[in-house]
Amino acid sequence: MTRTRTPGISRRSTLALMGAGAMSVAAPWVARAQAKTIKIGMPTILSGRVAQLGTSSRNAVMLEVEKVNAAGGLAGRQIEMVIRDSKGQPQEAARVARELVNTDGCELLLDGEASSGSFAVHEVARDLGVLCIHTCSEASSLTADPKQHIPNAFRCVRQGIHDSIVGGSYAAAIAKTKGLKKWATCSPDYAYGRDTTGEFTLYLKRFAPDVEIISESWPKLFQPDYTEVVTKILQAKPQALYSCLWGGDLTSYIDQANIYAMFSQMEVFAVNMADYTALTVVKNLPKGIHSGNRYIKTFPTTPENAAWGDAYKAKYNEYPTNWSWQNATAVMFLAEAAKKANSADGKKIAEALKGLTIKCPFGADGTVTMRGDDHTLVGYAIGWGTTIPQEPYVPEVKAGDWKTIFELEAEWKKSKGYT
Amino acid sequence: MTELEAGRAGTLAPVRGGAALGRYRDILIALIAFAVLASLPLFTGSKALLDFVIRCSAYGLFATSLNLLVGYTGLTSFGHGMFFGLGAYSFGLIMQKLGVPIPVAFVATLAITAVIAAVIGAICVRLKEIYFAFVTLAFQMLIHSTILSWASFTGGDQGLRGGIPRPAFLGINLANHVHLYIASCALLILGLLAMRQIAQSPFGYTLRMIRDNAARASFLGIDVWRTKLTVFVLAAVFASMGGMVMALFVSGAYPEFAYWTISGEGIFINMLGGVSTFLGPMVGTVLLLLLNDTVTRFTEYHGIVLGVVILFFALGLRKGLLDFVAEWFVQRRDAGEGR
Repeated sequence: MTRTRTPGISRRSTLALMGAGAMSVAAPWVARAQAKTIKIGMPTILSGRVAQLGTSSRNAVMLEVEKVNAAGGLAGRQIEMVIRDSKGQPQEAARVARELVNTDGCELLLDGEASSGSFAVHEVARDLGVLCIHTCSEASSLTADPKQHIPNAFRCVRQGIHDSIVGGSYAAAIAKTKGLKKWATCSPDYAYGRDTTGEFTLYLKRFAPDVEIISESWPKLFQPDYTEVVTKILQAKPQALYSCLWGGDLTSYIDQANIYAMFSQMEVFAVNMADYTALTVVKNLPKGIHSGNRYIKTFPTTPENAAWGDAYKAKYNEYPTNWSWQNATAVMFLAEAAKKANSADGKKIAEALKGLTIKCPFGADGTVTMRGDDHTLVGYAIGWGTTIPQEPYVPEVKAGDWKTIFELEAEWKKSKGYT
Repeated sequence: MTELEAGRAGTLAPVRGGAALGRYRDILIALIAFAVLASLPLFTGSKALLDFVIRCSAYGLFATSLNLLVGYTGLTSFGHGMFFGLGAYSFGLIMQKLGVPIPVAFVATLAITAVIAAVIGAICVRLKEIYFAFVTLAFQMLIHSTILSWASFTGGDQGLRGGIPRPAFLGINLANHVHLYIASCALLILGLLAMRQIAQSPFGYTLRMIRDNAARASFLGIDVWRTKLTVFVLAAVFASMGGMVMALFVSGAYPEFAYWTISGEGIFINMLGGVSTFLGPMVGTVLLLLLNDTVTRFTEYHGIVLGVVILFFALGLRKGLLDFVAEWFVQRRDAGEGR
């Protein structure tokens, strides 16, 4: 039997074509498999009363991760975020963090937990040795206390002690010019409220020694009605009031105090006012409340910061929160550290993170630093200003001085027995 | 032994024999269950599965101890979580501050819990139904507030920080994941076995009688108050065992462990699993943790899913899962015999 060549495409060339086709379809997959994705786990609070903590943190992380991935990923590996709800329960936070590492194969952790949850995740990091960056917990002891120190955990968050030093010196300057001697305080009754208020008054008295605290109120966390607190303060007739109420508590307090025209009778210093979560929710935002900056796109007054705030608003149709900038900064740190270490390995990134200074829209001078000795964020924009009822809400913010912060922080650490 | 019991002791001999047989059966089941659980790490390297069993041990001990009160004695405690928290905190604090060997801290924690439970119980068990429920809740909030405000000792709302030291003892190193897993399983099985013995003992049947008709029990010469107090203390001790397992798992203790939501979860577990069978709460624990772990993987709206499940159990089955299964078996058997 003679083989005749049929016209058309031969079997061999068909096979070759099919092979080439398969190659061209598969090539990106093969390439992607080589540059294996790196999973980053993130336990955070996505449900309940402070769900905004988790959602605004998640938004910011995703915004930054997209940029990092578009630029080639973490040392060439695309980032895949695995973000889970801990419901704000420390045992769940620990469980979720362990599961993210042990089951889901996450190689790094971003810890978006507040307060006790962050300490629970910290213990998981201690146990598993995985690189962990805390992005929401402001409790100073998390990094200041040497007992907490582990080589694989960092904190990319503002701190209560920094806020108190800047707030104390700012308030003292105003107290001196306006002659405010009689002060009242009103803060939530839990560790954050008590510690922050104590530290604020400590520094206020240090810079303005003739200040006297004549009334203290400690409403419960998430208290719905502040009538008795407001009337107690009005009866004491202070010249100024300090409060570290935050979020929904602060907004309901202001709405209720407005009825008694409290804000026309005294100067009010509310450290957590200048955050869009509070500014945009209060019904009648009084003019002239003094506040620390949480996140505000007009401070620092740089085009980079404004652009970042606008990009976030454009994507999520709401303004970022204090937690947003902190989480975004953590991703920026990861990207830079991976670049410096030329690796996505947790241990190498941890080494690179120590003392690393990066360009950042939220830096006081356009940069922020991960301090090497206690693995905590410094150099971020921190300042105080007064409110107006419409955008930009806090038109002028007076920046705090990091030199003073460092001096007093070192003193404070010594007094606590941390150094 | 009361006079009545002494008089009937002779006639009860065959019954006692049956009870002994039941006890051997329980011990056998416990041994098999422990052997199965302990050999699990040989077959699987899944740390998440081991974590799951450790958490089941903590919650299982807690929920089963609550069932001693709810199911067996008819005392619906809304504040049982305080003993879970107390166990975690006492154990953590003793280990952090005193640095004693783990078994010493373990026994000391049980003793502390027993004393505190005796004081709280002495006040609470005089009350009935809703009053009992609310006073236990009030004590729970008292303990929770104490933990929050005594920050210099307990760490306040940030909890016991710095990790719980776990020095090795008798060749057991609880800092090792597998060792911790086996120790948790052992505690769970021992705890369940002890509670099973309590439930099946004459004391256990006294509890059931008090639940069904306290006046009648009283007329039969039973000191109802003392019996209730005893079971209250016993339940507290087992709950604190659960708390200790949880403290070891998270290497810390947090105020949330003593909050009312933990008590609520305990009651929910009992509703899910069933209160009229001994292992009901254990089944409920596995169900709740499975549900929690799978649902939270996919959505942050887990509340909706759990709510639907509660509705299904409350309106659909009208009882816990194991109760439902047990009744279904009985009905089938009866139907079979009727034929």
